Amino acid sequence: MFSLLRRSLQARAVFATIALTSIAMITLGGFLSYALSDGLYRARLEQVLEETERAVASVQDTVSAASLTDETAMQSLLNSIVPTLEIRGTNESRQVALLRSPDQPQLQLLQSPISADLDLNSIPEELRSQVRQSESTLSYTSVALIRQGVTSPGITVGAPLDIPLAGMFELYLVYDLSSEQQTLDFVQQVLAWGGAILIAVISIVSYTVTWRIVKPVESAASVAEQIAAGQLGERLVERGSDVVAKLAHSFNRMASTLQNQIQQLDELSQTQRRFVSDVSHELRTPMTTIKLAGEVIFTNREQLDPALRRSAELLQNQVNRFEALLVDLLEISKYDAGVVQPEFELQDLNHVVGLAIANIEPLAMSKGTSISIELPDGPVEAEFDSRRIERVLRNLLSNAVEHAEGKPIRVQVGANSNAVAVCVTDQGVGMTKQQIEHVFDRFWRADPSRQRSVGGTGLGLAISKEDTTLHRGWLQVWAKPGKGASFRVTLPRYRDSVIANSPLPMPPKSKTAGVDT
Amino acid sequence: MTHKILVVDDDNDLREMVGLVLSSAGYEPIYVADGAVALETFERTNPDLVLLDIMLPGKDGIQVCREIRAVSGVPIIMLTARSDTDDIVRGLEVGADDYIVKPHRGAELVARIRARLRPLSSETGVLQIGPLTLDVEAHEVKRDGEIVLLTPLEFSLLFTLGSKPKQVFSREMLLKEVWNYPMKPEAQYKPDTRLVNVHVQRLRAKVEQDPDNPKIVLTVRGVGYKAGTDSN
Repeated sequence: MFSLLRRSLQARAVFATIALTSIAMITLGGFLSYALSDGLYRARLEQVLEETERAVASVQDTVSAASLTDETAMQSLLNSIVPTLEIRGTNESRQVALLRSPDQPQLQLLQSPISADLDLNSIPEELRSQVRQSESTLSYTSVALIRQGVTSPGITVGAPLDIPLAGMFELYLVYDLSSEQQTLDFVQQVLAWGGAILIAVISIVSYTVTWRIVKPVESAASVAEQIAAGQLGERLVERGSDVVAKLAHSFNRMASTLQNQIQQLDELSQTQRRFVSDVSHELRTPMTTIKLAGEVIFTNREQLDPALRRSAELLQNQVNRFEALLVDLLEISKYDAGVVQPEFELQDLNHVVGLAIANIEPLAMSKGTSISIELPDGPVEAEFDSRRIERVLRNLLSNAVEHAEGKPIRVQVGANSNAVAVCVTDQGVGMTKQQIEHVFDRFWRADPSRQRSVGGTGLGLAISKEDTTLHRGWLQVWAKPGKGASFRVTLPRYRDSVIANSPLPMPPKSKTAGVDT
Repeated sequence: MTHKILVVDDDNDLREMVGLVLSSAGYEPIYVADGAVALETFERTNPDLVLLDIMLPGKDGIQVCREIRAVSGVPIIMLTARSDTDDIVRGLEVGADDYIVKPHRGAELVARIRARLRPLSSETGVLQIGPLTLDVEAHEVKRDGEIVLLTPLEFSLLFTLGSKPKQVFSREMLLKEVWNYPMKPEAQYKPDTRLVNVHVQRLRAKVEQDPDNPKIVLTVRGVGYKAGTDSN
């Protein structure tokens, strides 16, 4: 139920209406009921007291006037009072009790007559003592009458009587208020029914009213969702000229604007994509001719005179550099245009690491740099694009070899349930904090005056970063000037894994004592 | 014997340059500038290998490849400026044996050509792989007495698998054995396992009774392929 309230504006409005109306009805009904009950009681009480006063006076006169000396006669007289005063009826009833006051000096000679079915509990002790003390005024109390298992309200009124020869008596008249009670019950029922119907009607009204308001909002929400899902052509129905129609109109205008923008961007993206592929083709063919021609000249440079020979060498270098740059540029422009399609395959990361290391080995050897490898026991199974990841590793290794200053390079592979990682660490020239910030920028050189022996298009790390991001992985660097640098690639283990933490620590912990970090 | 190589490319300078490289490597280049005349020139000159540019104006390279394949098992190497998956796979599916991406080194091109022109093996004899009978010297495959037409490359692939039936060959191993990869350690791009995948499919389409349930060329998940030895 609470989720319905949370979700539906309408449900909340209707619920609030019902709640508030109910509270109002209950409060009002309660108040009315109380007022009525009080009024009825007071009216009846007045009547009762009046009647009783007359009755008491009449009895007192009768008793005082009757100059009887005989006890039996007195008793008959007393006995006759009760039936005289009694009223038996369905709407009204009155019971009588003529009780002798206790603790009197005279001997009790006469009986206390009472009505036949009178429950003496209706004449409570407190009332009796009150009556005895009152001398001539009436005392009353409200009582609960139990008749045939049914409880109804009543009033008991009493007054003292002085009866010659017999002593002090108390006259009690017990009035049944059940007809008042019935009236009250009836009114309360009517109020309750009326209230319930009123609440129901108000609920329906509020439901209908809110529905009229909520429905356009709901339909706007559903159309918005459709548009968000890609159906850009969906619109709201505009009907009439009230604020709802205005909303629909503005919404539709907004949707059309968005649709146009998206289409424009799409077209732009398409154009860019075509450009990338066209350029790719157009540049590569002449590039091939240049490369082949350069090679032929280079291969035969011994036959040339020194100036030409040197020219051939320089030409070859630059052609290679140009080609590398071209390849990298085209690669990164693919990322920019968003046309990259990775090929994920389940395979052993160790194998790819091995290939990359084998690839860089000649260069490393030529610089006298050793590479140590730390692999976990057994294959490291993961889902990734091997061409791209090998490229990343080759880039990191080539950077490491370039900057290692001959000192050994360390390659570590690690894995946990969510992720796999490769860390390439060198102990060479290192980087400052400022340099670390820019290291993944395009065409950024830490030291522009530095000569590279191999590669160095300036895009290597930028492409590596893109490749890693494509895998939803991390590429991180840790470095200290003069101490070396460590690059760590962390990849989700499987296509849908989420990296919780990298399996290799950064900065890398050394396994052998006496090594840096 | 000088091998003749048909060079089909619309770029004049590149065509000539490739020809120069081929000549200095001891081959005889034959030039075709237009896809429309490629087939006719092929049939007339009967080269030992075809270098085919995929992006040709007019009749495109894929179509030319299909046409040549329909009449001959000659080795075909695609030249392509695009390394997109679709183009390369399409080319391999219609019959190319290998591909090389521009720009490429002359040495690489020559090495690739040499690999394709390498005589298969000096072995003789007959190899039985399931219901297939391979006559090694004649490079012929028969199934229940009927010849199955395979290109030299397809034959080579089948032969490699079948000559060591207990061995499971990884894609890298097959690339090395059949295609003669890797060429040089600094190869621009990693040798492509798609080559193996597509050719296995092509082979299956030709030799298997039901290519979707292969019994002769079996896949070993996560590792590679091997030859099925039960004959049924």
